Amino acid sequence: MNQEFEVNIENISKEEKKLREESLNLFNKEGFPNKRLEEWKFTDLNKIIRDNFKELKSSKVLKKNVQVEQIEDFAHNSIILVNGHLEANNFHHEDTSNIKIKKHEPKLIEKTKTNNPLINLNDALFEGGYYLEIGKNYKFKKPLIVYNFFQDNVKNKIFNNKNLIILRNNSSLDLIEFNTDTSRNNFVQNNYTSIKIEEKSCLKSYTLQGCKSNGFYYKFIKSELSKKSNYENLIFSSGLKFNRVEEDVNINGEESNCTIQSALFLDLDSHQEIKTKLNHLKPNCTSYQKIKNVLNKNCKGAYQGKIFVKDIAQKTDAYQLSKALLLSDSSEFNAKPELEIYADDVKCSHGSTSGSMNEDSIYYLMTRGINRKKAIELLTKAFLLEVLDSIKNIEIKKFIEKNLDRQIYGY
Amino acid sequence: MLEIKNLKATVSDKVILNGLNLNIKAGEVHAIMGPNGSGKSTLANVLTGKNGYKVAGNIIFNGEDLSEVPIEERALRGIFLAFQYPLEIPGVNTNNFLKTSLNTLKKAKGEKELDTLAFLKLVKEKSKELQIDEKFLSRQLNVGFSGGEKKKNEILQMKLLDPKLSILDETDSGLDIDALRIVADGVNSSKNKDNAFLIITHYQRLLDYIKPDFVHVLSKGKIIKTGNSELGEQLEKSGYANL
Repeated sequence: MNQEFEVNIENISKEEKKLREESLNLFNKEGFPNKRLEEWKFTDLNKIIRDNFKELKSSKVLKKNVQVEQIEDFAHNSIILVNGHLEANNFHHEDTSNIKIKKHEPKLIEKTKTNNPLINLNDALFEGGYYLEIGKNYKFKKPLIVYNFFQDNVKNKIFNNKNLIILRNNSSLDLIEFNTDTSRNNFVQNNYTSIKIEEKSCLKSYTLQGCKSNGFYYKFIKSELSKKSNYENLIFSSGLKFNRVEEDVNINGEESNCTIQSALFLDLDSHQEIKTKLNHLKPNCTSYQKIKNVLNKNCKGAYQGKIFVKDIAQKTDAYQLSKALLLSDSSEFNAKPELEIYADDVKCSHGSTSGSMNEDSIYYLMTRGINRKKAIELLTKAFLLEVLDSIKNIEIKKFIEKNLDRQIYGY
Repeated sequence: MLEIKNLKATVSDKVILNGLNLNIKAGEVHAIMGPNGSGKSTLANVLTGKNGYKVAGNIIFNGEDLSEVPIEERALRGIFLAFQYPLEIPGVNTNNFLKTSLNTLKKAKGEKELDTLAFLKLVKEKSKELQIDEKFLSRQLNVGFSGGEKKKNEILQMKLLDPKLSILDETDSGLDIDALRIVADGVNSSKNKDNAFLIITHYQRLLDYIKPDFVHVLSKGKIIKTGNSELGEQLEKSGYANL
């Protein structure tokens, strides 16, 4: 495969160029991660890239006058990203004096200490992305939808970008990341998102895939939680050819909570992995993870979940569960739970099950005239629907359920 | 309506039904009694087309051999089984399930499908007859239902789908006396000259409420005795051992 990257970014200092080139050199040593790396043992990205791309180029190709189809199900604010670049925003439901939104152009002043090849690549080549800051005491009246849209001319391109979201003290936001594209060809998104949630603030994030896509998505989310804060991410990214979401969460203030859940239906040779590292660094915090997957033919799913509890993080309550249903012998699901606990007064539990669908349930539905395919679809939805129980906003819940129907029953 | 000829069923080389013959005509109620392990539930399963059995012999339903007919198609042609142990299906809303099922049948018959309003009206009416609290219908299918509620839910489905042949597999087990009467009334009010019932039971008590035209005794996979409703009463007194 032809894959030669070059740091060719406009308007950067010599120092930054040097740092970026260092990052690129680090990436170039090994290239895309392969399964020999412990963290990538279930996802041989190197092979996946080689199998699916003849060439891969970094680009920010943009066509003018992009029309991104808007969701009309409920009133919302919007940010429109085209190929990862902030193109437009609209906060007409809010008091905009409390909101800062701009292109995210961080100056790279120090190299990220990481052995993650994709973060190195991102550090080297990132462009675009958005910066969003919510002021103190401001609670969003309506949800924010981030339309993450890719154009039809993205074949064999890789898009590296960074986003930064900051919630100042006592603020709150419901954020829906809605991924769509009009490309029929393969492309890669490599995104690095930083989230800072200050005291008593709450970010509820939903990741939704709005269409079947030949996108290969990698997203690394680094979040920092202060005292009495809450961070949730619910992941519904079915439809992507490849997806890996990594969450690295520092729960760094007492009485905080972090919830990560997913409901995924993998179909048509797709591959999805969720990898989490929840770092309980202060006492009296909770975390909750529930990962549900249904896998159709030739699909591969994985979940690697690590809970780290620092010695001072007493009274930690951390829960982790992965459940997978395999609809075909040709599918594979791997779960790797990890607990690393240095405090002695904690409650940590983890569980993992995978199996096939209950034939008796299918039989029961079929005796009521429902054919096997439809019965399996009903049971698939029933299995995944549980994850929606925790969504309090009825409009968002309805919308996600509708989207889930499309993912299961077809677009 | 139903002709069963020399029906044999085996599961991993164990013979369960061993040459069973039975004829059921429209308008009739048949009861099958028999000791544990005689093959009663297997008969119900094989009639619905459940996988996992090696089946020989013929099941003719309304003149057509069912051997190649899949489970859902048998249901669409009018065979209904009220389960001995109705399954709990978390995540499936009872009303949605009932509506999906009913409309699938209507579609197969070439009838107009019911919209939500018309469906709710119908289901309300039927559940009232069976004294089913409406709030059960907005819950997940059979999840957290008591044994009696599950059985009533089976009869509710039967009444909604209006099958030609209803097979009741030990519907009386787990029912208290009041529920038993409600369920029996539900069956009796569904009876007409065009449909038929096959009631599988251990005990006479359900047959006190639903009077069968024929009682068959099943033993070791065969019908060994057939009589009228008095046979049931007799069995209740003397047991199966004396047959």
